[in-house]
Amino acid sequence: MNCSATDCLLELYDEQHELEDYQSGVPRWCTDCGDNAILAAVQRLCRDEGLRPEKTVFVSGIGCSSRFPHYMKTYGFHGIHGRALPIAEGVKMVRPDLTVFVNTGDGDCCSIGAAHWIHAIRYNMNLTVFLHDNQIYGLTKKQASPTSPIGTKSNTTPRGSYLDALNPLSVTLGVANASFVAQAVDWIPESLFEIVKAAYHHKGLSFVRILQRCPEWLPKSLDPWMQDPDRIQLLHHENALHLSAGLAKTYRNQLLHDPLDMNRAREIASSEDVIPVGILYQNRDIPRYEETRQTGVLRTTETVRKGFEAELDKYTV
Amino acid sequence: MEADLQTHVAFYLTGKKLSTHLDALDGLGLRPALFAGYRDLTHLRYDFPLVLVAERPDGTFVEPLSGLIDGILDRVAQGVDGERIRKHVLRLEQEIRVRVASGSSGLFSALWDQAAAPLGKADRAIAESLSLARANLKIDGEVIDCNAALPFHLFGHAWSIKQGQRARQFSQDIERLVLKLSDIIKADFVNSDAGKSAENLKASFGTGPLDNFDFEAMSRILTKSSPRQNLSDTRRRRVTNLLATLHAQKFFRTAETDTGETYSFAFDSCIAALAAYRERLPRLIELARAMAIAELEIKGEYNESKHDLLFDSFGENGLEASDLSLFPDYLVRLNAAGMTGPEQNTLTEILSVDLPIKIVVQTDDVIEESPLGNGHLAFALRSRQLASMAMGMNGVFVLQSPASNLYQVRQQIQRGLDYSGPALFSVFSGAATGSGELPPYLIAAAALESRVFPSFTFDPAAGRDWASRFSLDTNPQAALDWPLREFAYEDEKHQSVAQQTPFTLIDFVACDARYSKHFARVPRTRWNGTLTPVGETVARAERGPLDSVPCLMMVDPENRLQKVIVDEKLIREARRCRDMWNSLQELGGINNSHAERLLARENEIREASVQTAGEAPASASAVLAAPVTATPVAPPAEQEAERSPDEAYIETARCSTCNECTQINNKMFAYDGNKQAYIADLNAGTYAQLVEAAESCQVSIIHPGKPRNPNEAGLEELLKRAEVFI
Repeated sequence: MNCSATDCLLELYDEQHELEDYQSGVPRWCTDCGDNAILAAVQRLCRDEGLRPEKTVFVSGIGCSSRFPHYMKTYGFHGIHGRALPIAEGVKMVRPDLTVFVNTGDGDCCSIGAAHWIHAIRYNMNLTVFLHDNQIYGLTKKQASPTSPIGTKSNTTPRGSYLDALNPLSVTLGVANASFVAQAVDWIPESLFEIVKAAYHHKGLSFVRILQRCPEWLPKSLDPWMQDPDRIQLLHHENALHLSAGLAKTYRNQLLHDPLDMNRAREIASSEDVIPVGILYQNRDIPRYEETRQTGVLRTTETVRKGFEAELDKYTV
Repeated sequence: MEADLQTHVAFYLTGKKLSTHLDALDGLGLRPALFAGYRDLTHLRYDFPLVLVAERPDGTFVEPLSGLIDGILDRVAQGVDGERIRKHVLRLEQEIRVRVASGSSGLFSALWDQAAAPLGKADRAIAESLSLARANLKIDGEVIDCNAALPFHLFGHAWSIKQGQRARQFSQDIERLVLKLSDIIKADFVNSDAGKSAENLKASFGTGPLDNFDFEAMSRILTKSSPRQNLSDTRRRRVTNLLATLHAQKFFRTAETDTGETYSFAFDSCIAALAAYRERLPRLIELARAMAIAELEIKGEYNESKHDLLFDSFGENGLEASDLSLFPDYLVRLNAAGMTGPEQNTLTEILSVDLPIKIVVQTDDVIEESPLGNGHLAFALRSRQLASMAMGMNGVFVLQSPASNLYQVRQQIQRGLDYSGPALFSVFSGAATGSGELPPYLIAAAALESRVFPSFTFDPAAGRDWASRFSLDTNPQAALDWPLREFAYEDEKHQSVAQQTPFTLIDFVACDARYSKHFARVPRTRWNGTLTPVGETVARAERGPLDSVPCLMMVDPENRLQKVIVDEKLIREARRCRDMWNSLQELGGINNSHAERLLARENEIREASVQTAGEAPASASAVLAAPVTATPVAPPAEQEAERSPDEAYIETARCSTCNECTQINNKMFAYDGNKQAYIADLNAGTYAQLVEAAESCQVSIIHPGKPRNPNEAGLEELLKRAEVFI
């Protein structure tokens, strides 16, 4: 129901939040860990968008990144390994009024949770998903993850990993109903924040792969890109991100890319020499599962009981 | 011939028949020649009768009988028997038309059965065809012909469907609000001591092996461990009052409404409708207020210190259209002939304020005599006044249409009913008393053709300008003064003659016996070249030379052509009718005088500029060759403050919050509001720490500058290490 009086009165009830209102505890992540940058960007988003803590949920799986909900003073669900997405989908389905974020790592999402990841993309529910990709299992002290570069020496691959790394962007862009795919790096806070913001505003599942450093187990892995700004390719477009003067000055490798161009997005996703940063694909017209399945029927106690009993009756002998 | 002309001119000027060679029309049974083909409408397949169908997903509320029959035929008239079935079903359709024209009414399915029974009895093959087709009759509804009852019936039906949709939405809203508000009370009970009592916990488990549970222990644990946060008394009272208000509402029937009685919103008088609106307004405001508060309560956003005051004065200045759109619209159906002065005043009052009242005004007679009497004519003025007045109010949806055209304007009717403010529907039924044997459909259609009762829509929701709001599209040949129709007949030598004939006001008036004195038949033997078509006379600006007399072609009951001369009074009325139509055309963008003047002026300017360009072609090419200024593609880089290499600083905007520097010295380095590092106090640490932080920084954004304390130990080495960061 759209009651204009209510809308007006709601605007009057506009509380201002500070960054500290979203902070909870001191992160246990290592010094230099990219998760800190992601946490700062997300807390800044919550403050700037005035998200009400009691209406915001962070859902995670297992891993370093999945400690994220502990550090947000909002609702949170530290789930089980690989199952952050199904939990988040359940939350969104019954409480579409909540803003739901998902924090998942490269092991959590791309290995044990890969099936859920694929189908979550296909369902396109209104979730903002951050893939904290440090290319290694950090919490369990260095095992190769699906995104570890080939040759990564780890406890499970002492002679170096044998397989090419899985590219989460290419995979996501290959799934039906992908509606928002972006990539950020933790060491360019300005673009990280802008991408996080665009992902939040997208209506549908926004998938953001954030390449992040692991200072403990892969300390030098991303140095070639960190130390050479020309190996970062900033994507910009009038319908996507605009580059600030400061950013454009530091990062001169820029690419005009229409986020509706799926074929080009797939090409960009496959880049190896440079790290593309920005929105690769965005389509606002893809239907969202929670809306497609919305029946409008009120879930009264009677409705639930009736449905439940009807199910049980099927098995009554 | 000269004598005849004089007699004809005398009639033209005075309306008096000075010769026995002019016949009065009374009793001759003449009708306009263009109506020759429409003697028996039951043999024609056209829009009528209409079927008022139940609500359909696409919003359709009315279908023509022939359309429904075609739909059935599309499904059943297939294969080798297709043609036979088609023939039989069309025969049934004609039978239904005859029955409806003679006054039968009822559901389509019932009329089908009544008409099919005698046909089927006479022929077994017909019975089979009709039975097959009957099984495919999926859309039913009341069948209604074009008659005096049609406008009220059709608008009542469309309005009821709209109210039904609104009632469903309203009902859903109320049920949701009641459920969620009740949940607040229930949740409070569950959290209370009573809710956590062993007895209540046991009751909530339903049936089963309850002995396996220790409800006393469960009660103790729950009471001790769960937070105590009961509803405040004021909130409980507020929620309870909201529930009471929602339960007691009488605007729509819902599952949550206590009382069986709900308000009626259909009226036959503006005075009664306005009185009811005024009486119900306080309750409406109370309910709208309760719904608004309930929405806030459910979201947990009701803040007493802010909202109490606002809601205390809720609705003092009336409700907005979007608030009112939740509630039922009022429908008032009036007959123009019975409208009294006070009724007219109230109608104006309703239209002048933004009330959600839809008014249908039915006019049965559009060419009545002026109340002044003495032969003054005031054709179509009453209805025209009403529509013009309503359009002048600017915020009223106005639809004018004769009944014969109502199916064509069904979407406009829906738009009017959807419109949030007042709407006026002015309809001419065609059921006037003076039209003799002509059916109302033909009279109504003739009123549209002759521009006596044009069809138009004024939709304030369509945009801000006349071009968006006003439309004449549903009129025949709207760009012309009068629609031109081809009239073909056989002359005395049995040769086919076809000519384009305008259908004017005079054709329309000729259908009405009350005005027969303005016409005189010229016997065939007296026909001559001085009888000119009325269209030509009306088209003249002035009277002109009296060397010819306007004449109208009519046909007698045997369909023989007759020529009828017309007096000048009617010619003047026709010109007035055309002028009024021209005004409407201007509003609709046809021959708009402002636009034409502007166009003429622009043409003059263009011609003048073409001439100038011809004289000095060099200047034009110079303009074309002018260089195009390049548009800057990127914003200029922000001016950065020049930093001295001796100064210590951090490029804060590039900080990735890695905690390295703050862990080295959290007094010297601190985070700003965006959790990005800056040098908070240079004196809070040593130069060695600055250099160490610069070396640790993952994104190399710390610049240590020059040491402040020249006596610090190991400066030489530190300066060497700091060089790369300066």
